[in-house]
Amino acid sequence: MPFERMLMMQRPLSRRQFIVRGGKAALGAGIAGSVLAGCGGGSSAGGPVTMWSNLEPGDPQDFFKQNIEPGFEKANQGTKLDVTFQPPAEIDRLVRTALQGGEGPDIIPTPGPAYAAEYVDANLFAELDEYVNQYSWDDKLLGWALDLGRSDDKLYTIPYQLQTMILYFNSTLFEEMGLQPPKSRDELEGLAEELNGQGIVPFAAGIGDEPAAVEWFPTVFWNHFSGPQALYEALTGETPFSDAVFVDAIELFNDYVQRGWFGGSREKFFSNGFDALHADFGDGKAAMNIEGSWFMASAVDFFGQGAGNENDWDWAPLPPMQSGVPQEMYALGIGSTISVNARSANTDGAASFIDYLVADKKRAAEYMAAVPSAFNAPLPFEEGDFPGSMDERVRRQLVSLSQATGNGNFGYTNWTFWPSKSTVYIQEEIQKVLTGDMTAAEYCEGLAGVFTEERKEGLVPKIIEPGA
Amino acid sequence: MEVNEQTLRSAARPGSKDASAGRALRRRRLLSAWLFMLPLLAVNVLVILGPSVATVYYSFTEWSGIGPAEWVGLQNYTDILSDGDFWSALSHNLLWTVIFLTVPIGMGLGGAFMLSQITRFQMIFRVLFFIPYVMASVVNAAIWQNILDPDRGIGSTLALLGIPWLEGVSFFGSQALALPAVAFVDNWHWWGFVVLLFLTALQSVDKELYEAAKMDGAGRWQQFVNVTIPGIRATLVFVVLMTIIGSLLVFDYIYIITQGGPAGASEVVGTLMYKEAFARFEAGYAAALGLGMSFLSGLIVMIFIYLRRKGWEV
Repeated sequence: MPFERMLMMQRPLSRRQFIVRGGKAALGAGIAGSVLAGCGGGSSAGGPVTMWSNLEPGDPQDFFKQNIEPGFEKANQGTKLDVTFQPPAEIDRLVRTALQGGEGPDIIPTPGPAYAAEYVDANLFAELDEYVNQYSWDDKLLGWALDLGRSDDKLYTIPYQLQTMILYFNSTLFEEMGLQPPKSRDELEGLAEELNGQGIVPFAAGIGDEPAAVEWFPTVFWNHFSGPQALYEALTGETPFSDAVFVDAIELFNDYVQRGWFGGSREKFFSNGFDALHADFGDGKAAMNIEGSWFMASAVDFFGQGAGNENDWDWAPLPPMQSGVPQEMYALGIGSTISVNARSANTDGAASFIDYLVADKKRAAEYMAAVPSAFNAPLPFEEGDFPGSMDERVRRQLVSLSQATGNGNFGYTNWTFWPSKSTVYIQEEIQKVLTGDMTAAEYCEGLAGVFTEERKEGLVPKIIEPGA
Repeated sequence: MEVNEQTLRSAARPGSKDASAGRALRRRRLLSAWLFMLPLLAVNVLVILGPSVATVYYSFTEWSGIGPAEWVGLQNYTDILSDGDFWSALSHNLLWTVIFLTVPIGMGLGGAFMLSQITRFQMIFRVLFFIPYVMASVVNAAIWQNILDPDRGIGSTLALLGIPWLEGVSFFGSQALALPAVAFVDNWHWWGFVVLLFLTALQSVDKELYEAAKMDGAGRWQQFVNVTIPGIRATLVFVVLMTIIGSLLVFDYIYIITQGGPAGASEVVGTLMYKEAFARFEAGYAAALGLGMSFLSGLIVMIFIYLRRKGWEV
């Protein structure tokens, strides 16, 4: 789930704000260029580094301004970091417009590797290979993450904000009802039927605020029903997405929606907003929530006294829904990528900031402990890497993800591994399956067509084989 | 000024000795006028003509929004004609037009007529009617999303009072209700403005016409049909024209509330165009869609102009 979508709250940017901010960025770039030109030009570090960030207002932005920005400037005397926080829901559009106009900051985020590929094709991102050796990124960063940032064996983007889909449950409600998180499809369906029978919505769900969030569910069903091996074969072109194993997964998802297990009814699934569904989850009107690891950052808003209830939450891996699918497996997701503008006058400075933000395990762990999910770096974390102040559930999730991916038990989120048109197809057309305007087979057939075209165009990022 | 006029008149006579001076003055005046207009023209060229020409160009290309555009001729336009999503969206625009040509105009006329009959507290009503119009669309949308929420909104509140017929109804999540529900919200913000437009027009209708009609035995309805409507015809035509064009270009409330969903049930060409440009990255196709809608709007304006020239009182 790209970070701007996981942040849930859309804050449209007016044309005036865009012009002002674009002007500031251009002015910043202009000043940077002037300063560097005055110093003899080149790409040496030492001048200002401009950056657009997709961080949400509140804790993530505050933490960045109070800790990361001064920390970097202190560690790199003479280099000023000039960050502009853009509306998460709009940042990709703003980046696209700025880059097309020959502008934009030194450091640029994108919603994920599949989106970055287009910019790489248009030669808008700088190659980062010289910094791989300089900063030992090969040794520090997760290999699969670094591979995702490569195109034609050249590194252009650094994946950031690692995430995965998990099963949250209202642990207080589960305890009161003597329930356990499901470990198989049978257990999951039995649990859902029992909860539904008692007037409790099995899964808090809804796409009213952000229809594109419907993509979470095909991702979950393809990974945990079809399985990562089937996905690997489809993503590498060996099997078409029209294969029965994918069609059956969509039919299963549709069946659950029609039964009212997601959000209470199909209509409510379409209209429930995030605040409402999370409030239901916190209050115990809904028992579980299938969502990305990013929800950990905001779970505190819906549970406990602050939210007007006495409940607590926990999480578990999503269960396999078919034999042959690994028991504890996580679909890999990237919330954003970080790249350097090909027109940057300070690529060295930009690369040094990327290294500062992403590659230092101790520092990254502190960030991740302070603000869950916003700063998840692609590093091989272990239990002892995180400070004691970190929430145990967040720590467990990060370690589990790291260990499972290390063992090859990973799957693929569509917003990370599918090219952009395929991703949009998945988001837009699945609604027609749920309303009965399209069959699951037609949906998958259509996806196969779109994906095949994009694959031919070379827009599919590198796919790592599960178990590798 | 008078001297200048005399000079100009002299200059108009061929062979006059003041002719060259007059021509020079005329040139200076022309130059001054163009110099005054130049900044505005420059701004227009920059922000209107330039993007318009670019849009026309890109509508003939396949372009993702970044990188080079590939010339495809009329391909985007032929694709539009065979695009089921476009025709579905256009049909929603037409339905939207029908709704807005009837509901807010009807409510506006009725409201203005009733408001014109009172003198006390009229200003209070005018302010109240106008408030939704000046509120930001995102605020209006958020208010109604909460009011119409199936679990926390008016339906569940009425159910607690023993009126269960709206309980659990998901206005924005139902394929059948989504478009009318968004139209309702948009209408809530729009109709008060229409009331004020009609009220202003009503106040310019000669009161003696009403007196004469009364003396002829006309009732309220007959006065409304035979005096009020003809008296505010110009405003009515203006509102109808604005409604049609606005309905073809509608975007904000639909995008904010349903983003065209569920499953395209409230998709209009404006939201489809946005998705093509910024989600599917088909900027060339989106440009063609935009031009198509501009063409339709222009066509409607031309029809009005044509009818007026033919002597129709529109």
